[in-house]
Amino acid sequence: MSHPAVELDGIWKRFPGVIANAGASLTVRPGTVHAVLGGNGAGKTTLMNCLAGVYLPDEGTVRIDGEEVRFSSPADALSAGIGMVHQEFRLVPVFTVAENVVLGAAPSVLDMAEINQKVAALADRFGFEAEPTRPIWQLSMGERQRVEILKALWRDAKVLILDEPTAVLTPQEAVELGSVLRQMVSEGRSVIFISHKLDEVTSFCDEATVLRDGKTVASSVAIADVDAGQLAELMVGSVSVQQVAPRDATPGDVVLAVDNLTVVDSRGITAVDDISLSVHSGEIVGIAGVAGNGQRQLTDTIAGLDVAQAGTVTISGTDVTALTTRHRVDAGLAYVPEDRLGVGLAPKLPITHNAVMRGYRTMRRGPMLSWDRARAYATGLIEKFDVKIGRMEAPMASLSGGNLQRLLLGRELSDDPRVLVASQPTRGLDVAGVAAIQNLLLEQRDAGAGVLMVSEDLDELLALADRIVVMSEGRIAGEFDPKQVSRTEIGEAMMGAQ
Amino acid sequence: MAFAIGLIFALIIGALLLSISGDPVFDTYQRMWDRSFGTADTLSATFNRAVPLALAGLAVSVAATMGLWNIGAEGQILFGATAATLVGRIGADWPGPVLIVAMLLGAAVGGALWSFGPGLARAEIGVSEIITTLMLNEVALRLIRYLQNGAWKDPEGFGFPQVEARPDQAQLGQIWERAHLGVIIALVVIAAFAWFLNRSVWGYELKIAGSSPKTATYAGISMRRKTLGVMLLSGAIAGFAGGIELTGTASRLSENISNGFGFAGIIVAALALMRPSGVALVAVAFSAVQVGGLSIQTLGVSPAVSAILQALILFGAIGAAVLSTYQIRLVDRKVAA
Amino acid sequence: MVLHGLVFAETQSNPLEKETIMKRRLLLILSILLAFTLVAAACGDDDTDAGSGDDSDDADGGSDDAITAAFIYIGEPGDAGWTWAHDQGRQAAEAATGATTLTVENIPETGPDFEQAARDVIAEGADVIFATSFGYMDAMESLAGEFPDVAFEHATGFKSNDTNFGNYFGRIYQARYLTGLVAGEASASGNIGYVAAFPIPEVIRGINAFTLGVRAANPDATVSVNWTSTWFDPAVEGDASQALLDSGADVIAMHQDSTAAGERAEAAGARWVSYNSDMSAFAPEAYLTSAVWDWGPYYTSVIEDVAAGNYSGGASWDGIETGLVGLGSFAADVSDDVKAQIDDLSAQMAAGDFDPFTGPINDQDGNEIIAAGEVPPDFAAEGLSLLGMSVFVEGVIGSAAG
Repeated sequence: MSHPAVELDGIWKRFPGVIANAGASLTVRPGTVHAVLGGNGAGKTTLMNCLAGVYLPDEGTVRIDGEEVRFSSPADALSAGIGMVHQEFRLVPVFTVAENVVLGAAPSVLDMAEINQKVAALADRFGFEAEPTRPIWQLSMGERQRVEILKALWRDAKVLILDEPTAVLTPQEAVELGSVLRQMVSEGRSVIFISHKLDEVTSFCDEATVLRDGKTVASSVAIADVDAGQLAELMVGSVSVQQVAPRDATPGDVVLAVDNLTVVDSRGITAVDDISLSVHSGEIVGIAGVAGNGQRQLTDTIAGLDVAQAGTVTISGTDVTALTTRHRVDAGLAYVPEDRLGVGLAPKLPITHNAVMRGYRTMRRGPMLSWDRARAYATGLIEKFDVKIGRMEAPMASLSGGNLQRLLLGRELSDDPRVLVASQPTRGLDVAGVAAIQNLLLEQRDAGAGVLMVSEDLDELLALADRIVVMSEGRIAGEFDPKQVSRTEIGEAMMGAQ
Repeated sequence: MAFAIGLIFALIIGALLLSISGDPVFDTYQRMWDRSFGTADTLSATFNRAVPLALAGLAVSVAATMGLWNIGAEGQILFGATAATLVGRIGADWPGPVLIVAMLLGAAVGGALWSFGPGLARAEIGVSEIITTLMLNEVALRLIRYLQNGAWKDPEGFGFPQVEARPDQAQLGQIWERAHLGVIIALVVIAAFAWFLNRSVWGYELKIAGSSPKTATYAGISMRRKTLGVMLLSGAIAGFAGGIELTGTASRLSENISNGFGFAGIIVAALALMRPSGVALVAVAFSAVQVGGLSIQTLGVSPAVSAILQALILFGAIGAAVLSTYQIRLVDRKVAA
Repeated sequence: MVLHGLVFAETQSNPLEKETIMKRRLLLILSILLAFTLVAAACGDDDTDAGSGDDSDDADGGSDDAITAAFIYIGEPGDAGWTWAHDQGRQAAEAATGATTLTVENIPETGPDFEQAARDVIAEGADVIFATSFGYMDAMESLAGEFPDVAFEHATGFKSNDTNFGNYFGRIYQARYLTGLVAGEASASGNIGYVAAFPIPEVIRGINAFTLGVRAANPDATVSVNWTSTWFDPAVEGDASQALLDSGADVIAMHQDSTAAGERAEAAGARWVSYNSDMSAFAPEAYLTSAVWDWGPYYTSVIEDVAAGNYSGGASWDGIETGLVGLGSFAADVSDDVKAQIDDLSAQMAAGDFDPFTGPINDQDGNEIIAAGEVPPDFAAEGLSLLGMSVFVEGVIGSAAG
């Protein structure tokens, strides 16, 4: 009786303010390509890091070939046969392919001619074309990825983890990758394929495990038994949302207009591709889509954190495309970013510092900041938005996820902005927290603000939004009236089925 | 607490070292203590030496609040002292207090000028300030060498390459024993900066920027301006230290006026855990180690052993201070095959 | 490294703080490196026997019957060179007078360390302080005012008073001239290199005297100067000698404390004239002779003056007549003619009948700077003097401005 190649059971991993894995599990059979699906923040990467020795899980067990292991470093994991190809490649640009492949695992006597030959033979076995003597900097992203895979194979990895491998590939390269993976599993190896692109999953993988909110919601589903729509539903969830009293919107003027916006991300990939949309005062426009389809770049560019390659952003009639974040705030924008602790807050600084981040310019007395006013303001915010804190001097990161978000949202709403862009505002929150945030968004809408809300939770969008825009691969794949649309229709649009 | 444990640990290893080298352990420690804190006279000298150490430490820690490494405090001290010397030459017949204030301001401006290039390069095109500030140290040294052989050569030096002495009236007065007014000035400057960084809008923005560049951009704070601003401030503080040295302990500009204080400032800042408020205390301790370490040579302790002893004491304290922010835990390294 | 089997885990493992943790680690590493450089700075200069202090026994004595003499050095004595020569003198004086001696080494010029060191030795009961580097001068002057009962003796400077502050040096140029005779005879190519320290009168005077000696033996020879701006840096000084050797020099003279020039000359099959102390052991094939110091008699006489209460500061500039300056050993192939000539000139210089700087002497451009039969004064407020010499004589190739 053969053991599973990998068995993760009851994995918990907590970070300050965030629970990344809440009892997640995963079982991978040898000789299969196993998809791990889930939206951003579902806990996929953390779970894989627990397997690859980057993190030590707080709770839970990791078994390799039926034996329990505890990895304290990636090197431990590697020696147990677990290799991981990260989204950002870890190659030395000036080294050759072969030098990178053997780096850290080279024989003690370096005979480069022999190594070149061995690397070429290895590549050949898996159907790669790889010239061992070419330097990395000359290679395309797809070719670099193959070098990463070769690195793992050189170390004879039995389990290869690929974190969103196709994000950097051309469609042709993605097809080639598929055949490489087939060759690997035919040798009895296993591949864990992290993705949120359902079409790839259905074409490359044998089984899938779906994560949501740090938990496993579907385990080892045979791909042959499901269709993409069902997987999408599993990913976005169908848990009942807190009942939010439905209220009719009374849309007014356009307060946010995005015209023909194109954004290229740091990897050179077009993340937002010629998008136009508008938000009127007094309405909530929901952006639906599987995470990683350009939503973050869209909202970051509206807020001024990313740069638009083409197109314009207009807030309350002012073209802000070339203006700084501060001027956009002055024009009436509030932004609740997806990455609360990394962008929206300063986790190590005290609560007061975080509470006044939007309004501190109004609290100055000459060059000095009036800390009396700052504290009074922070206290007011905390009371009004029911934020539970310990001491005001405690670092922001000591707050729970829901309280962090209440403070962040409260801060952004405190000066009645005309436009609110909220990205994943309820993600990771408990039921009460979700309801509180959703109510705040509705109140804001009723007070006349235009709200652009990005969420992966389709039920949430159906309950709150007055219009739903679906994004897929950086484009708008459809616009729907939530009252008249089915989940399946939206799911198909998410899949890019135009 | 960790600091004390680290210190005791270092002293024990130091004792071992001294016994191996055949030096008297107790006498050596006794001497180090006597000559650094033991009497009013030695304590005041310890204070004097702590002034440039504290200011250099402040300069390094101010830059570090934004994650920037000013490795060039040494050069900024040198150029600050050079600028102060220039002011001294212009105002050779001004009254003492006016001249001193002008020279100290000149020193601060000089130090800021010396960090302007690295700050600008870092802010605008992302050039590592570590490398640029370090390189400018050498430039400042060469400049002084040039001046003492050329334009500012002392006409009364019989051809010896030394810069003309600064005006006599530009001497900071003694306040207590050998301690000069610079001790008070440094304390005021450090307190003012600690207060300013904690209380001002600028300081608030600096903290946000130091927390995360993304968060700063999100909050509408210009990273470019903050980077340049904090580098200028850091350079100005270091340059000011050069001015204090010139008017406090030295009589003329020389290549050695910085005396390694700029580099020692990095250690001071590290020991103060990059908190501007901590540098004064750490600088006094650091100064005492240096002064005490110097004094034990007359006991027959060789300079090499003395240097190792000083390094050990610093090591012990740094190790303890920095490592105490980590947890040390035993990890089961078993890996199932 | 030390904590094998342990890992450092961040107290908070929030991935967002990774950057901070990286910085902390960088900080730790940087601090350790800096601490190491402190050690390296002490060990890097010269080999020294740890715990070399032979004076610790009665350091705390403070008793009045014996004189305590303190020596403050810029470097460490090591095996040869400037500080070694002074330390030999200290040992000789200690043996001759029975005085207790204290040493403080590695004290940089200017900067606050010198004052600290001087106060330390005064606290230890020093009656006289010998300080052997130029940059100590300003601090010596102010300390002399503060401690009228301590004698301050400063080598190579020019300040003094008539009570307790004196400066001393020696007419090493006399020995330099004699070594020039040896070099001039030994050079087949007439191309001689000189690895010079800093462009100051002391060094320029030495180069000029050496060149005059070279041209007395070999009228067409030239001396090419390469400045290092160092007193002790074997790497820089070795490179500077190599450059001279590569441009055809077959004899190398030098001013610094290291033996690097000799080692390079030896490797190149050229010859070498050393300075400060007899360095024949370091490059036995290349070594010709050396201009050396013998400070023992001077230190002995000052300590005796201090003990007798006769010390009164002032300037001292002794020459070959007291044995303060002289030549080291000769290589086997130095001709008897030259040795005889050196003996003769030494005697004449000791008697005051000959001075290397006797005119006519031209500068590098051929203009006469010392008229026939004249000798420049030791010291002059204006015009050429020995102590203020800042131009090269004819036959030197290079700039006296450094």
